[in-house]
Amino acid sequence: MQRLARGERDALGPLMERHHRRLFRIALSYLRDVDEAMDAVQETFVKAYQAAARWDPVSEVAPWLSRIAVNHSIDIYRRRRRRQRSEAPMPEATTDHDDRWRAADPSPESEASGREVGQRIAAALQSLPERQRAIFVLRHYDERSLPEIADTLGMSLGTVKSSLHRAIARLRERLGSATA
Amino acid sequence: MTLFHGRWRARVSLLAAGALDPHEEAAVQAHLASCGACRADLEASRRALDLLDRDPARAAEPPVAIEFLKTRVLARLDEAPAPRPFRWGLAAAGLAAAALAVAILPLLDRPVVTEKPVPDEMLARMERRLARDSAARYLDEAQDLLVNVSAHPADCEKDHGRIDVGEEARRSRELLERRALMVELGGDEVASAQPLLDDVEGLLREVAALPACVRAESLEAIHRQMERRHVLMKIDLVTRELRG
Ligand SMILES: [Zn+2]
Repeated sequence: MQRLARGERDALGPLMERHHRRLFRIALSYLRDVDEAMDAVQETFVKAYQAAARWDPVSEVAPWLSRIAVNHSIDIYRRRRRRQRSEAPMPEATTDHDDRWRAADPSPESEASGREVGQRIAAALQSLPERQRAIFVLRHYDERSLPEIADTLGMSLGTVKSSLHRAIARLRERLGSATA
Repeated sequence: MTLFHGRWRARVSLLAAGALDPHEEAAVQAHLASCGACRADLEASRRALDLLDRDPARAAEPPVAIEFLKTRVLARLDEAPAPRPFRWGLAAAGLAAAALAVAILPLLDRPVVTEKPVPDEMLARMERRLARDSAARYLDEAQDLLVNVSAHPADCEKDHGRIDVGEEARRSRELLERRALMVELGGDEVASAQPLLDDVEGLLREVAALPACVRAESLEAIHRQMERRHVLMKIDLVTRELRG
C-alpha cells in the first residue's frame, strides 16, 4: 500500500491478486451481473490507485477496498435503474439474474440446483432497497462487523442494525417457501 | 406483541446474523430461554440465512484471468475518467455465455374480483384491512427511502462532491400523492398511526423539495430530525401493528 501511495503502478499487481476474487464476489452478490461486477472490480482498483495517496496507513486495506467496491456497485445499480426507466417502463420487481459465472464445484446436478438457488436468492436480494442490500451483502458475504458497515456506508450504527434486521425479515419472507 | 417485545425481534435477527457482541448475545440468549416465539423467529431466520449460504455467487470465479484484469486497470488509468461498460464474458476465451435468465416476480396484491354479492359487514372489514395494509406499505416504502437519504446516496455524476438525491426526491413526491389518497380511504382505521404518519409526511416533504444534487449538509437536518423522533424504529413498530 505504501508503494501504491507513492504512485508505483507495480504495487497494484499484488493488491489485485490478493483482493480481486473477494471484491468480485461482493459486487456479483449485489449486482447479479458478471459484466457489471467486473466493471465494479476494475473501477475499485482504479479508484484505489487514484486515492492511495490519501489512504490512512492505520486503516486496513480489505474494508477500505470493500467500501469502494460496494459504493461503486450501488452507483452501477442506480445507473442501471435509471437506464431501464428511460428505455422502457419496467415493473419494479423485474430481476435480471446472470448465471454466467463458473461454479466452484461444477458437477451437473449441483450446477443445476445451484442455478435454481441462485435465481431464487437473486430475486430475494433484488427485492431489498439498495442500502439494505448493501448492508446485507457486507455482513453476509464479506463478514464485516456492524461498526465497519456503518463506517463504510456513512450510516449510524442504529440504522445499520435496524436495516439489517429488516433485510433479514424481508429475505425470510421472500425465501420462506424455499426454506420450509 | 408489546413494544418491549418488538425490540427483542430485531436483536434475534442480529443474533442469527452473528452480529451481536458477547454482552448483547448473552441477554438475547437469556430471553430466548423463556420465549418460544423468539426461538421460532430465530429458527426461521437461520433457515433463510442457511439457504443464502448456498448462493453460488459466494464461490463464483471472475470470468477472466487476473492478468487480463490488470491490463484493463492499467489501461483505465491512462484513459479519460468515464469508463465504458465492458463485455467481460465475451473477452474470456473458451467460456460459453449462458442465456440471461430473467425471472419476473409475480406482481403483488392484485385485487380479487368476486362475483357474488358480498355482505356489507364483510365489505367494511375488507375496506378496513385494505386501509391498514396500504398504510403499512406506505410506511415501509417511506422507511426505505429515508434510510437511503440518511446514508450517503450516490455522488452526482456532473457535480462531484455533491450527493445525488434526484431518485429519492421523485419517490418522495410519489409517496406524498399516495398519502393524500390514504386520507380519503380510511382515516379512522389508521388513527393510531396518525402522529407517525405526520412525522413521515413532514420528512418526505423536505426530501421532495430537494434539488437533484445537494451538499451533504443539506441532508444532515433531515437525518437529525429522523434520529430525534426515532422515526425508523417507530415505523417498524407501527407497520407490525397495522399488519396485525
Ligand atoms: Zn421473545
